Amino acid sequence: MRYLLRRLGFYLITAWAAITINFLIPRLMPGDPVDLMVARMNGQIDPDAIESMKKSFGLTGGSIWSQYWDYLGNLLHGELGRSITFYPTHVSSVIGGALPWTIGLVGIATVISYLIGTSLGVVAAWRRGTWLDSILPTTTFLQAVPYFWVALALVMVFGVSLSWLPVSGAYSLDVTTGFNGAFVGSVLYHAILPAITIVVASIADRVMGMRNVMVTTLGEDYVTMAEAKGLTSRRVMWRYAARNAILPNITSFSLSLGFVVGGSVLTEIVFSYPGVGSVLLKAVENEDFPLMQGIFLIISLAVLAANLLADIAYVALDPRTRQEA
Amino acid sequence: MSADATIRDAATQVRLSRRTLFGAAAGVGLAATLAGCGGDDATGSGTGKPLVVHVNDTGSWQRNFNPYAVTQNTGTIGLFYEPLLFFNKLKPNDITPWLATKYSWSEDGKTLRMTIRKDVKWSDGKPLTVDDVVFTYQSMIDTPALNRGGVELSGVKADGDEVVFTFPSTSFTKLWNLAGQIGIVPKHLLSGKKLDTFTNPNPVGTGPFTLSSFSSQVYQVKANPKYWKGKPAVPLVKFPAYTANAVQTGLQTGEIDWASAFVPDLKKIYERNDPEHNKHYFPSEGLNALMVNTAKAPFDSLEVRQAVSLAVDRDRIVKSAERGYVEPAHPSGLPMPADADWVPAKYQDAKFTVDTAKARQLLSKAGYGSKKLKFELLVPSPYTDFVNAAQLMKEDLAKVGIDMTVRGVAIQDWVAKVGKGDFDVTLRGAVAGPTPFYLYRVMLASALTKPIGQQATGNYGRWKDKHTDELLAAYEGTNDEAKQQAAVQGLATVMIEQLPVIPLFGSPSWSLYRTTKYTGWPSEQNPYAMPSPATSPDMAQVLLHLKPVK
Repeated sequence: MRYLLRRLGFYLITAWAAITINFLIPRLMPGDPVDLMVARMNGQIDPDAIESMKKSFGLTGGSIWSQYWDYLGNLLHGELGRSITFYPTHVSSVIGGALPWTIGLVGIATVISYLIGTSLGVVAAWRRGTWLDSILPTTTFLQAVPYFWVALALVMVFGVSLSWLPVSGAYSLDVTTGFNGAFVGSVLYHAILPAITIVVASIADRVMGMRNVMVTTLGEDYVTMAEAKGLTSRRVMWRYAARNAILPNITSFSLSLGFVVGGSVLTEIVFSYPGVGSVLLKAVENEDFPLMQGIFLIISLAVLAANLLADIAYVALDPRTRQEA
Repeated sequence: MSADATIRDAATQVRLSRRTLFGAAAGVGLAATLAGCGGDDATGSGTGKPLVVHVNDTGSWQRNFNPYAVTQNTGTIGLFYEPLLFFNKLKPNDITPWLATKYSWSEDGKTLRMTIRKDVKWSDGKPLTVDDVVFTYQSMIDTPALNRGGVELSGVKADGDEVVFTFPSTSFTKLWNLAGQIGIVPKHLLSGKKLDTFTNPNPVGTGPFTLSSFSSQVYQVKANPKYWKGKPAVPLVKFPAYTANAVQTGLQTGEIDWASAFVPDLKKIYERNDPEHNKHYFPSEGLNALMVNTAKAPFDSLEVRQAVSLAVDRDRIVKSAERGYVEPAHPSGLPMPADADWVPAKYQDAKFTVDTAKARQLLSKAGYGSKKLKFELLVPSPYTDFVNAAQLMKEDLAKVGIDMTVRGVAIQDWVAKVGKGDFDVTLRGAVAGPTPFYLYRVMLASALTKPIGQQATGNYGRWKDKHTDELLAAYEGTNDEAKQQAAVQGLATVMIEQLPVIPLFGSPSWSLYRTTKYTGWPSEQNPYAMPSPATSPDMAQVLLHLKPVK
């Protein structure tokens, strides 16, 4: 219990640090959003209108400290402000609209990648020395090739040349959005290609992590003991070796779950997917402080929450973490 | 609302100009014939097929149709909310009455009377009244945050079926901002709303289309059966949220019917798939130029500016960096022959030529004979065509002994530095208005500039010249087209002889369109509106001109 409380205290401090950095970083960028907009308008805007734009965007100065206090105060009230890019839409509604798509696509792809990767790792370690050893270099190669290149190649082959799969958007332009069969089917159909690219690009880590720990575990006495007892190799592989080897993979899995909410920026750009990643890109392009802050905040909190979950899972899975040092 | 649309377009242009926005060099022959049947008659049976349009790169849409917001979705002005007059930027002073049937200025240019069209209905069935027009503009007076066009109005009131605008100063040149860029909104629905923070999710306007569905990935508009010019022939228009890369795929697969997009290899990606129907039209809607910082050395020297201009090979830049999609600029910076009447007769056939000997001679006259002239060209790195052009110019300038370094920076950094005058020379676009005056004002008016270190709102090259200001004032002070042309000819002369900015090539309005479903698109032979769907309210004009293919 004390262990968890200590972790909780640590998370609170980390959260504060994340929130503060979150406040500072956008302000370190050169220029300000209104100047940026005005510059793009090529002088078609009157200097009086600039002042009113700054006012309506809530950018009228104040010291950095008073801005910081306002920011903390607003956060406490769950108020993230209005996006500048999509003004006057609230940041919370911009993120709220994008989040389900990202969690659906990137979340599910991450789980799939984890399940397949870990299983492959287990089998590759168990059957080491066979042709299965080639899994590792293959997946590592796919991970090493720039992601957008893989994605674009898949788009060219399956989307443009063969026309098997749709290459952009989250659903077809012809279906009515809502909970109906055609829409759900269209969403799944459109998710296939982007999901495959995410899995292909991320699977090597899982395979490698699992295989390496597994190889070490296989040398442990209890595995030899289990084999000596005459247990089926399937049982030894999964219940004795894999179960003990999986701990580091759980950590990396929970970490990547935390990053899911940030979206996979490249995937979303390549496939025009309406998720957090594309929104984040827009926000950065337009120096949209409120929107960037909102997204970074959600990402930071999600990563912290995922870490906390990983800690709890560790406590449950590994008795050693429960002992006081 | 007003300039929202323009502003947004201008914004998109500058930001995406190289990547997505413009397009179109005249789809010769066939398109010409087809476009010829455009005409004014917009009544249609509504039997055409749905049209898929790409307006600007975005990963997703937000439901924001506030006609006063700079950030409104493209088409808010035009599709739903209509201006009083329509200005065709491709023909100087080509103005079509729209929600106003006529207008007249007082002698001093401080009072404008406009007659409002009768029998126009909002899409909810209520009639458009003079009060709606007054409400639209009164809101801008009451809440300056809504006045994004920067039109200084001192009052607006109804007088029978006329609306009377009063201005604190002579405002002939504000007609475009006031009547061409602002969409008239319904008082009965928007009165009492906080218009600066209202997202207006369900727009009700007088325009040819109404919103039929919205999601973050696509919004659709359908023909308004009550439209005052008759129901449009295009029954449904879809606006998907495509990123730059998805657009190219969409053009390749034929999913997109009309796009505002920069495509690196038009023939391969788009035209060869269906040469008979896949067309483009890229008229210039502005100028890309070397904006030189005239407030400091070395560009305060005319000889240096002339030498640089003589050394640069524009034909090569246009061919290789701009892929031949644009034309080298006329020395006046104006599109020719469209603006021929606005350029002095003796300069109408003027052309930029490369002359290294003369350039060297001018340089030594300016004191750079033995001393090497060195300066830095600031370019936004994401605009790859600008970066390529910059490299070519670096080679050209090296031939006359000028050492130019090219510095690529992030867009934000570029904007901040150029705005504050912290640069030697930069490559930048300026967007034209309904007459050449607007382009010159943006680039040359001393009222728009600021000393180095302060944020300017235009004239980033910090050109300060009494004669220029007098000519601009002469234009602003009159409503007589002949006098206006004389003033602009004076400005063109300044441009040609003084080189306050160094024109390079046109800034195209990108339009890729397919004639498989509809004909009647704007073309070189019939330039009735800016062809790019990213331009408001022109997009609605184009949609009204389309005729379904039988």
